[in-house]
Amino acid sequence: MSAKVVKLCNMDQLADGTSRGFDPLGEGRDTLFIVRRGKVVKAYINSCPHWHGAPMAWRKDAYLTSDKKRIACYGHEAEFDIENGECLSGPCLGQSLTALPIHVSLNNTLYLLLKDLQHKNTLL
Amino acid sequence: MNIIGPDTLVFGVENVNDCEQYLKDYGLEPVGSGVFEALDGTSVIVLAKDDASLPPALESGSMLRKTVYGVADQATLDAIKEELSTDREVSTLPDGSLEACDDQGFCLGFQITIRKQLNLPAETVNSPGAPPQRPLNVIGADPKSNPLPRTLSHVVYFVPDVAKAEAFYVERLGFFCTDRFTGLGPFLRPAGCQDHHTLFMIQTPAFLQGCEHFTFHLAGPTELLQAGTQFSEKGYETFWGPGRHIFGSNWFWYFNSPFGCHVEYDADMDIHDDKWQEREAPVNADTTQIFHFLARDKWFPSGPPPAKK
Repeated sequence: MSAKVVKLCNMDQLADGTSRGFDPLGEGRDTLFIVRRGKVVKAYINSCPHWHGAPMAWRKDAYLTSDKKRIACYGHEAEFDIENGECLSGPCLGQSLTALPIHVSLNNTLYLLLKDLQHKNTLL
Repeated sequence: MNIIGPDTLVFGVENVNDCEQYLKDYGLEPVGSGVFEALDGTSVIVLAKDDASLPPALESGSMLRKTVYGVADQATLDAIKEELSTDREVSTLPDGSLEACDDQGFCLGFQITIRKQLNLPAETVNSPGAPPQRPLNVIGADPKSNPLPRTLSHVVYFVPDVAKAEAFYVERLGFFCTDRFTGLGPFLRPAGCQDHHTLFMIQTPAFLQGCEHFTFHLAGPTELLQAGTQFSEKGYETFWGPGRHIFGSNWFWYFNSPFGCHVEYDADMDIHDDKWQEREAPVNADTTQIFHFLARDKWFPSGPPPAKK
C-alpha cells in the first residue's frame, strides 16, 4: 500500500448541513460519504445495512433526507441518525451504518486512514 | 376482465422538485399538473405528500398513493364495479374512473385506458446466418441518440400477506400468474396484456408495505444500456444492473430515487398467453439474472504510467 493516508477535502469545501461521497480507492463508485454538521464531521461506508453493498444516495452526494436532519438510504427509505449511524426507521431497524474515523488537521483538512476503509470494506 | 395494465402511478412525495427533475432526467415528458408521460401517454404523477387530492397514504408511509389501471372499455369498468362492490366501497369519480382499495390497502383506480397506440421501429441487430435487420451502411450505434421510455411496464409492491394479495388480483380481477419465486411472490399479468408481468409482489413485514420499484419499457437492450449510462452520467446512483432477468427475460437497470423506491429501465420482456405454464424457482442470484454487469464509472484502467521509484 503506497498512500496510507488519503486527503478527502477541506472543511471549507463541505457546506454545513450537507453530505458528500468519496472514492479514495478508485473503485469507480463512492465507497464512503461524510456529513458535516457545524464543526462535526461524520463518515460512513456507503452501504445500507438492509442490503450490504447497496449504495444509499439517490444522486451523487445526496445522502440526507430532504429536511437534512437524517441520513437516508434511497433504496427502501431507511433513515439513520447522523451522529451515530443508527437506523431510526425502515427495513434495517436495530442495525447501524458502519462508521469510519476521520482525522481533521489544524488547517481543517479531512483525512482518512486507508487501512480503516479497506478493513471495513472487506467486512461487508 | 379486460384490464390492460397500469396507466398511471400517483406519488405523494417529500420533495416535489427533486422528484420532478428525476423524472425529466429519466426521460419522461412533463405535461403539467405534475404529470410526466411516456411516449404512449402512460405516466407518473408527482404531487406533494399533503396534496388534498391524494388518496390517504398507507400506514407505512409509502409515497405510492394510487395505481391507476387502464381497461379496454366501459363494459370492463362496469364488471369491475360489480365485482368489487360485493365486499368494499367502490367510488365513481367525476372523470368516470373507479376507485377502490385492494385487499392489502393499496388504492387502485380503473379507467378506460389512455394508452396511445405506438407505431415505432424495433431495435435492429445483424445476426450471422439471418437476414440483416439494418440495411447496408446504416449504423447501429449513435452516441447522440436520446432513448425515451415508451410505456409504463410494471410496478412492484411490498405486501404483508402475499397469498391474500395474489388471490385478490387473480380471483377478483382476472390476472394470471406467469411465474413465481418460492415464498417471495408471484409475477402477474392482467388478461388484457401479454407482457410477462405488470405486477410483481414481494412478501415483507407490514411496516415496509409500499412500492419497491416501477419501470418503463425502452425499445430494447441498446436503448436500455444507453439510457442507463446517460442517467448515471447525470449523477444518479445504480442499485442493481444493468443485467437481464430470467423470469420475464427483461433487461433491467435499477436506480435509487427520491420516491422511496427504486426506479428501473426495462426492455425486451417475454409475452405470454393462457397456454403458458407457470414456473417456480427459489430466489437467489442464479435465478434472478442470466447475466449482470456492475455499472462503474471507471471501466478501464487509465492514467499516467507508474512513477519511477
